[in-house]
Amino acid sequence: MIDVIDLYKSFGELEVLRGVSTHVGRSQVVCVIGASGSGKSTFLRCLNLLEIPDRGRITIDGVELMEHRKQINKLRRKMGMVFQQFNLFPNMTARSNVALGPSQALGMSRADASARAEALLSKVGLADKVDEFPNRLSGGQKQRVAIARALAMGPDIMLFDEPTSALDPEMVGEVLQVIKQLAQDGMTMIIVTHEMGFAREVADRVLFMDQGVIAEDAPPERIFRSPEKERTREFLSKVL
Amino acid sequence: MEGVLYELTNSLYINLIREERYLMLIRGLRVTLEVTLYSVLLGVIIGLITAVIRITEPKGLVRLATAYVEVVRGTPVVVQMVIIYYAILGGSNLPKVLIASIAFGINSGAYVSELIRAGIQAVPRGQMEAARSLGLTWTQAMRFVIVPQAIKNILPALVNEAIVLIKETAVVGYIALDDLTRAGNIIRGRTFDAYTPFLLVALVYLYTTTTLSIFAGKLERRLRESD
Repeated sequence: MIDVIDLYKSFGELEVLRGVSTHVGRSQVVCVIGASGSGKSTFLRCLNLLEIPDRGRITIDGVELMEHRKQINKLRRKMGMVFQQFNLFPNMTARSNVALGPSQALGMSRADASARAEALLSKVGLADKVDEFPNRLSGGQKQRVAIARALAMGPDIMLFDEPTSALDPEMVGEVLQVIKQLAQDGMTMIIVTHEMGFAREVADRVLFMDQGVIAEDAPPERIFRSPEKERTREFLSKVL
Repeated sequence: MEGVLYELTNSLYINLIREERYLMLIRGLRVTLEVTLYSVLLGVIIGLITAVIRITEPKGLVRLATAYVEVVRGTPVVVQMVIIYYAILGGSNLPKVLIASIAFGINSGAYVSELIRAGIQAVPRGQMEAARSLGLTWTQAMRFVIVPQAIKNILPALVNEAIVLIKETAVVGYIALDDLTRAGNIIRGRTFDAYTPFLLVALVYLYTTTTLSIFAGKLERRLRESD
């Protein structure tokens, strides 16, 4: 479903990605772990061209992204993205946050978009918050609205960029619960996370990124119990 | 004491009541407010376009936008207005209120464009990214997500711009438009009293600007609450 071949990205002098290649199949859940600065967020952001890679190929369902940059808006609709800082639109209610994509990018009628928003917000357990503005929501609720907003476009793939890192500890669970539910529904997901327990539980594969490359790629059981690389062991001993 | 009181009521009577001169002040205030209102509206439109040009930097237009801001900021507004009146719009039959509003709108637009530019740049980058990640185009993201938040950021500053315009438009008399200041001038010409008419004019200006600035304060507080 997603093929990444030899991705390079630099910010000025700083080489952040130095040849990242991987493949993610349909309905796979892939967690990306690694120290800050290892390039995991940049890798994720390259997948929907929020960052433009310097070199390399990204193919999604056979469509090469960089060759189709003119259609990037269309391609992005197939990929939902959830950010660490939620990035909800503060000038809109939860309902409007979720309905904006369907009504503007998909050309759905106002009523249909609103109905879809309501359905998705109940799915993430926020049926009673549809008409609240983001500033009246807790961090966990905000992130669940953000997930509903991404789902509203009917994506084939969901990208999560440290979805729980900005949350108070007691709110992490409710967000992870929603992501787990998506995994059970068969959504293809790439999740950058620091929640090792969660990665272990939900991931089909865990990618350990180090210094701009994927240093180790293995099922969670193996990577957490008997990592092959010294660097992986070192990192895990610090965070576990 | 009684003499002073008599003098005061007498000059008030002459400058304000006789020949219904207070009506001139009211009509003058109306013109001032009209010119201010239209100028602000035009200024916001021009300012928004200029700000977007300066942010997106399309080839060719950036220099034009920069030159516009430089010219407007580097010359007195009276001069700009008179040039626009005589050289550009003098031959047309446009009402003077409109001509003055165009001149002040163009002038104000340069300042407002800087306000809007700062307001847009103050919206966190993640907002644009979130909108684009949904598949919205840049224009849609600006229209539905960025600009509404930017406007909110700069609303109090826009009210201040209106206050500035109320005072700055006092020079529209140069193109023979009877605004509040010119009304005072006309009354002075009739009554040969240099003092009272302008004192009254000053009071009316002060009352209007104070009202607006109280409104701006309330607005600012309300907007902050909803953050």
